Amino acid sequence: MATQIPSTTFEEFEGQEVQQERLLEKKMLLSPAMRYVLRRIGLYLITLWGSITASFIFIRLIPGDPIRAMVAQMQLQGGYNTISTSQSMSDFYEKQFGLNGNLLQQYLHYMNRVLLHLDFGPSLLSYPNPAMDLVKRGLPWTMALVGTSLVISWILGVVVGALVGWARKSRWADTINNISLGLSHIPAYFVAVVLLFIFAYNFPIFPANSAYDASIKPGWSFAFLWSVIQHMALPVIATVLVFAASWLNGTRALVIQILGEDYLTFASAKGLKNRQILLGYVMKNAWLPQISALALSLGAIINGNVLVEQLFRYPGVGQLLVMSTQQKDVNTMMAIVTILIVMTLTANLIVDLLLPLFDPRISYSGK
Amino acid sequence: MKAFIGIWKMSMKFRIGFTMLAILILLGVFHRLLIRWLLGDIDPLEIGTGGGIFLDPSRDHLLGTDRYGRDMVGLLLSGLPITLEVAALAGVISTALGAIIGFVAGYNGGRLGDTILFTITDMFLVIPTLPLILILAAYAKGLGVIELSLVLSVFSWPFAARVIRSQVLSLRERPYVELSRMTNLSAWEIIWQDIFPNMLPYLGIGLAQASIGAAFALVGLTVLGLAPSGILDLGTLINNANQWGVLSLGKWWLFVAPMGILTLLFMGVALINQGLEDFYNPRLRGMS
Amino acid sequence: MAQVTTRTQVAPVAQQELRQEPLLQIENLDIHFVTQRGAARVVDQCNLTVHHNEIFGIAGESGCGKTTLVEAILQIIRFPNRVTHGRVLFSPPGKPPVDLMSLSQAEMRRYRGEHIAYIPQGSQNSLNPVQRTGDQIVDGMVAHGISERQAKAKVPELLTKVGLEGKVAHLYPHELSGGMKQRVIIAIAISMEPELIVADEPTTALDVNVQRLILETLKTLREEMGVAILIVSHDLPVHAQLVDRIGVMYAGQIVESGAIRPAVKEPLHPYAMGLMASVPSIGGSRERLEGIQGATPSPLNWPDGCRFHNRCPYVMDVCTHVPPLLAQPEPGTRQVDDLTRTIGPDHLVACHLYPESTPQTGGTHE
Repeated sequence: MATQIPSTTFEEFEGQEVQQERLLEKKMLLSPAMRYVLRRIGLYLITLWGSITASFIFIRLIPGDPIRAMVAQMQLQGGYNTISTSQSMSDFYEKQFGLNGNLLQQYLHYMNRVLLHLDFGPSLLSYPNPAMDLVKRGLPWTMALVGTSLVISWILGVVVGALVGWARKSRWADTINNISLGLSHIPAYFVAVVLLFIFAYNFPIFPANSAYDASIKPGWSFAFLWSVIQHMALPVIATVLVFAASWLNGTRALVIQILGEDYLTFASAKGLKNRQILLGYVMKNAWLPQISALALSLGAIINGNVLVEQLFRYPGVGQLLVMSTQQKDVNTMMAIVTILIVMTLTANLIVDLLLPLFDPRISYSGK
Repeated sequence: MKAFIGIWKMSMKFRIGFTMLAILILLGVFHRLLIRWLLGDIDPLEIGTGGGIFLDPSRDHLLGTDRYGRDMVGLLLSGLPITLEVAALAGVISTALGAIIGFVAGYNGGRLGDTILFTITDMFLVIPTLPLILILAAYAKGLGVIELSLVLSVFSWPFAARVIRSQVLSLRERPYVELSRMTNLSAWEIIWQDIFPNMLPYLGIGLAQASIGAAFALVGLTVLGLAPSGILDLGTLINNANQWGVLSLGKWWLFVAPMGILTLLFMGVALINQGLEDFYNPRLRGMS
Repeated sequence: MAQVTTRTQVAPVAQQELRQEPLLQIENLDIHFVTQRGAARVVDQCNLTVHHNEIFGIAGESGCGKTTLVEAILQIIRFPNRVTHGRVLFSPPGKPPVDLMSLSQAEMRRYRGEHIAYIPQGSQNSLNPVQRTGDQIVDGMVAHGISERQAKAKVPELLTKVGLEGKVAHLYPHELSGGMKQRVIIAIAISMEPELIVADEPTTALDVNVQRLILETLKTLREEMGVAILIVSHDLPVHAQLVDRIGVMYAGQIVESGAIRPAVKEPLHPYAMGLMASVPSIGGSRERLEGIQGATPSPLNWPDGCRFHNRCPYVMDVCTHVPPLLAQPEPGTRQVDDLTRTIGPDHLVACHLYPESTPQTGGTHE
């Protein structure tokens, strides 16, 4: 079927322009994708350096010099109270905690330890074990809790949010939306208390505290894993309820905005089935922005998790942080804070690097 | 005022939120009178004034007494104003801070300045700030309400800064601002005459978000029992309830009462925020 | 520059015969929106007929209800509270006529795309930004029961038909120029070989040269596929280049309809006269551009009688209270006020200058 469509001189002209751009890109040493990746990693390293330096300054600025206070407390605990031993003890601890030398030397020493050896010095909570060891012990629990909550709440919130936005005029959608509007504005901790009271005390279905049954030997046994899941249930449900609600609201607003877009009118004018429109048009445009929001929410979910862990006496870094704060264990505190910051920044980096692979609109040109 | 009536008429969320917040503020302002009226001339924080420990709710003690024999209603009424004061003060400070940074970044920053300020703002939003607040509060001795608000606002300004920056960026491109710029008005004149009046609602939204952020942080701090000594707010009551294991005693109201009041506070502010956003961001209006 | 080309000479005889058959008949259509300030009668007592294989243009100033009218044909109006009366009869060849207004959404879906295709106004944002253009052509066909494999195989042919290269199918909308996007949309519109294409300002937002190419493409498609096109545009030169017949819309109603040449050369309705006169080189004889006095009335409150009466230079007593009917004046040459008008067959007007439009005396043909 040969057609006599008028020659497309203008389109051809545009095509040439695009081709010229491509040629230009080839002449450059690095592809735009590579430049984007390098720039994003550069930004990551700068923020990483910035936040670790800030934490150093932060700890030195705190009135009362926490590290010297800690050294003093160690000496007290050690019972070396005579003046002669006190001086040598003091020197020993100062060296060990990286306090000798002027501020610049201390900073270099600190950066060297933290960046190259991931060493935050000895802890006070279980001296002389390194603070990092305590963090390493708590981190898997926290990551399990935060990770599970984050994934479940994101999936639940985005899927239900899209459906609620899609069916925004129906009564059930309205009800769900109102409930989640309420839920999203209270701390996960509050929900946890209510769940704890109902499902651990009134109807003892779930255990009220700790991460696993003390009578079971930790290991890769089924009994142990089951116990871990049972103990995770309440804290995870509490966090999921609150954060899923907030994803739900966000996604619903996004979907309602998408429903007003021209491409949706056109989709229905094409005679697409509702299912096609919901999956291929609404969902596809809604979940992509929510991925970048996923990384941004990590900080909030970790904040909430500190309280939840405390309530459930869960052996993660949140509870460790509270204990070290009560004991004024500066090294452990700093180790936790730094690790959490590094974790969130890294998660953001990963999302930023992966997102252009999913979303054609975000090009690697870095806009 | 006109705008207030407009929002009030249009947004049910705003009406509910504003009523909730107004009730809480009235309770906070008149807490001394209410305590005297309910409990007589006593200091509700003094041990043993309730006539018995862990009493169940009764006509004399509507919410019972705590482990130190203090009347729970009295405790709630004296804790509420502290929470409100800190949230409001920290909210105002962070909004002011956020406004300055948002304006500088959005209007005057140039590309580099804006990028740097925005990156810092973003970093503060991304990282978990509660741990930092915990550490700061652990070492700062004898923090009063004002100092505590200052500490909290250090961490809640980015909420306000983000809202304000994005608005400044969009207002900057409006035709009337272009016009002022062409007629050689100074940057400050333009900000003051053209941009600021249009920013007021967004300052309101920023204030609401920053106050919620500060209140969340404050409650986080006090719920963990890390409140500076001398500060007894609603979070402290929650921490007490947790410490005493009142759930296992079946005395859930000791937990639920302070949490309920805080929930009212959070929801009230959040609903006001929502109402403002619906009103001034009409992109979503009419479609829902 | 704007040349009026008549297609009748080139069109085969069979098509010409078919062309007299009505494909789409809009009868007394009302689309009212319930708003906080009262009912907005955006389309009100609207009548219109589109024949098989013809290009019918709707002209009128913005706010006259053109877009709402075509959205009503496809039932894709977004506004939540609307009241609809009247009929939109659609008669595809070999099938009994169906009133589109009486269909459920599920039944209507089958007509959209398959029998009536749509070329939207905001075509710059009408493609899904996160889907390759090829897939957007395919999903429409799949929705109407064509297997995915067959649909995919048809994509290159469709793209060639609208003057695009096959590799465009692998691109995302943001990688295309405005003209290319519009072509992709046309490719989607013709993918199911519909009987009718409804195009709402298909060339607005495009530069003049791309505009011309798109119009040529539509013309070619009509000749090859035997499709009828209903095109809405505020741009009279577009109509002059493209359409066979034109309907002039004012205040939610069609006030004049007829073959393009007489409608442009000798418009019957005073509003149409003003409209034609406001375009250079179309009205021909006039030296000076003339606008239309006054402002467009609001759909919340149309004037009584003839809706144009308060802007009309020929206003009479009857105009202020009796709404004129869209009717066929007796063919022939006659004196209308200070003008001489030669009226042909199939030239309808709603104006009291022609006694046929005044309800008591004039007969109504539709």
